[in-house]
Amino acid sequence: MNPETGPQAIAPLGPDAPVILEMSHISKGFGAVTALVDVSIKLRQGEVLALVGDNGAGKSTLIKILSGFHQPDTGTITSKGKEVSFASPRDARSHGIETVYQDLALVGDLSVFHNMFLGREYKKRVLGLNLLDNQKMRELSRQYLDNLGISIPSVNSTVDLLSGGQRQCVAVARSIYASPSILILDEPLAALGVRESAHVLGLIQKLRRERNVSVILIVHNYNQIFEVCDRINFLHAGEIVFDASTSETSEEELIRIVKSGLGRKAIAAAAAEAGPLPA
Amino acid sequence: MVPINDSGGAKARKVGVKVPDTILERALVLLSRYREVSIAVVAVVLVIYFQFGSDGGFLTAQFQSIVLRDTGRLGLIAVAEVLLMITGEIDLSLSGTFSLAPYIMVLLSITWGVPLAVGAVISVAVGVLVGAINGLITVRFRVPSLITTVGTLFFLQGIVVSIYNSQPIIAPVEEPFNAIFGENLSDPAGSVFSLLGITAFTPFLWTLLVVGAIALVLNRTSFGLHTIATGSNIVGAREIGIRTDRIKVYNFMIAGGCAAFAGIINTAQFASADPQGGSPFLTLQAIAAAVIGGTSLLGGSGTPIGALIGAFVVASLNNGLVMVGAQATVSDVYLGAAIVAAMILNVQVDRLRTRRRV
Repeated sequence: MNPETGPQAIAPLGPDAPVILEMSHISKGFGAVTALVDVSIKLRQGEVLALVGDNGAGKSTLIKILSGFHQPDTGTITSKGKEVSFASPRDARSHGIETVYQDLALVGDLSVFHNMFLGREYKKRVLGLNLLDNQKMRELSRQYLDNLGISIPSVNSTVDLLSGGQRQCVAVARSIYASPSILILDEPLAALGVRESAHVLGLIQKLRRERNVSVILIVHNYNQIFEVCDRINFLHAGEIVFDASTSETSEEELIRIVKSGLGRKAIAAAAAEAGPLPA
Repeated sequence: MVPINDSGGAKARKVGVKVPDTILERALVLLSRYREVSIAVVAVVLVIYFQFGSDGGFLTAQFQSIVLRDTGRLGLIAVAEVLLMITGEIDLSLSGTFSLAPYIMVLLSITWGVPLAVGAVISVAVGVLVGAINGLITVRFRVPSLITTVGTLFFLQGIVVSIYNSQPIIAPVEEPFNAIFGENLSDPAGSVFSLLGITAFTPFLWTLLVVGAIALVLNRTSFGLHTIATGSNIVGAREIGIRTDRIKVYNFMIAGGCAAFAGIINTAQFASADPQGGSPFLTLQAIAAAVIGGTSLLGGSGTPIGALIGAFVVASLNNGLVMVGAQATVSDVYLGAAIVAAMILNVQVDRLRTRRRV
C-alpha cells in the first residue's frame, strides 16, 4: 500500500503499538481430547492477526476461550494490562470483544433486526412495562446495513430466509455494530463470493484504519491473509509453532510450514539433515 | 461496495429479493407469518357447522359457558406448553400440578382456616416451584424434559391421591373468591350481560388475560426474544451470551404457575378439589391444542393466541359433537386427525417457504 494515497492507505503498524490482549499458557481439554497445549498469543492495538491451522488444530477452541464461551483449564488472559477471566460470552462482550463464530450464532426464527440486537436490545417503557423498541432496532439495522452496503431483502425477514452469504454479512455487521476494541472472526469468508469477500476484507481494513480495532482472523485463503493481516500465528495440534509478521514471511514459506506442521527452526534443522529440498 | 443506484432513479434489482407473486407463495407467507390463520378458519367453520347442526343450540350463553369453561382450562395449560415447546422442551406433569395446587389451597383452608385467596397464592407458588424443579432437573442433569416430567407427573399424581385417600374435597364457599374465579352464578334463563351472567365466562376471561400477557412477553420483551432464540438455535444463543439454561427454567416456572392457576379456577368452578381433576389426558389435549394452533414441536416458534383458538376447537369438538348427534367418543377421532394434519401443515409450510425463499 502506498502511504501517499491519503486516508485509503493503511498506516504501517508501529512496533511500539501497545499490546491490547495477551493469552498466556492457555491449555484446554475436553475429556480425553486435548485441544490446546500451553498456547500464548499477543495481540497489539490495531493489529490484524491471522490464525492459521488445519481442521481440529484448536483454532475455534482458542477463540471460544477468548470470547468467553469456553473457560481455559490453565493459563491467563490479560486485557489492556489487567488480568481478566470471562465466565460467559456476556463478560467478553462487555470487555469489548466481539466474535463472529463459524456457525454465525444467528437465530433463524428471528428477524434480521432482532438478530442484530440480540442480547442488547433497545427497550422503551410503555405503561410501566419494559418493552422492546422494535421500531428503533428496525430503523437502526436498516440504516447500518445500508451504510455497510450489505443488501438483504428486508430487515424484517427471518434469518432462515437469507442466503449463506447474506447471513455471514449480517453476522459480521452485528459484531462491528458494537464498536468492539477486539474483533474475532472465525472463517468470515467461508460462504462468501469473490465480491462479498472483498467487501468484508475492506470492512476489516476500514475498522483498523478508522477505529484502531484489533482483529483476530481465522481464514484459509493465504492470498487474503497477505492482503489484510499484519501477523500470522500457525496453530498445529494445539500448539503455536509459527509466529511471524506478514512482511517477514512469504506465501511460499507459509505453505511449506503449514504442510509440514513444523516451525522455521524445525524446518531448517530437517533441511540441514536431509540436504536441499526438491523444488 | 458498488452503488446500487447508478442509473438515475431507476432502482436496480437486488439479488436475492423475491416478492411473493403466485397465490401459493402468498398463502405460504400468510400462513407462516400468522400461524393462527389456519386454526381460526377451522374454528369458524366448526362453529358454523355446530350452530346449524344443533338448530342454533351451540351459540347460546348456556352452552358457550361450558365450551368456554373447557377452553379456559385447556387454554391455560396449552399456552404454558407453547412457551416450553418454543424453548424445545415439553412438560407432561402439568396435569399433576393442576390437581395438586387446588388440593393444597382447599386443605389449607379446611385445616388451618387459611383464606382461599391466600391459599391460592401459595398454591401458585407451589406450581412455580414444581416447574423450577422440572426445569433444573432438565438443564442441570441433562435429562430430556419428556422423561423428567413423566417422572414428576407420577410423583405429583401419587401425592395427590395419597393425601386424602383419593377423595374429592368439597371446597369451602367463599365470596367473592368463588365469583371472581369462576363459580357459575348465572341463571340459565338470565341475560349473559348481567354481573351474574358474566361469571359463566370468568374462567375464560382469566385465560384470555393470561394468554394476552404471555403473548406480550413473548413478542415484545427481551425474555420472549431470548426464549425464541433458545429454542431456535441453542448453541448460537449461548454464543451470543444468552443464558439458555436460565431461560428454560423460567419458562418451566411460568408453565407450572399457569397449570396451578388453571387448577384453582377449575376448583372454584366445581366447588371441589378432585384428585381425578387433572388426568394426563388434559395435558395431552393441551399439547394438541398448542400444535393445531400452529406451535412447532421442533422449537423456535409458537403462538399463544393460536393455542387458545386451538383449545377452543378441542373444547368445541368435545362438547359439540354430542349436540349434533355423534357419539361422544368420536371427538377423539377428529382430534387425532387434526393433530396430524396440523403438524404436516406446519412442517410443510416452513419447508416450502424456505425452499422458495418467500
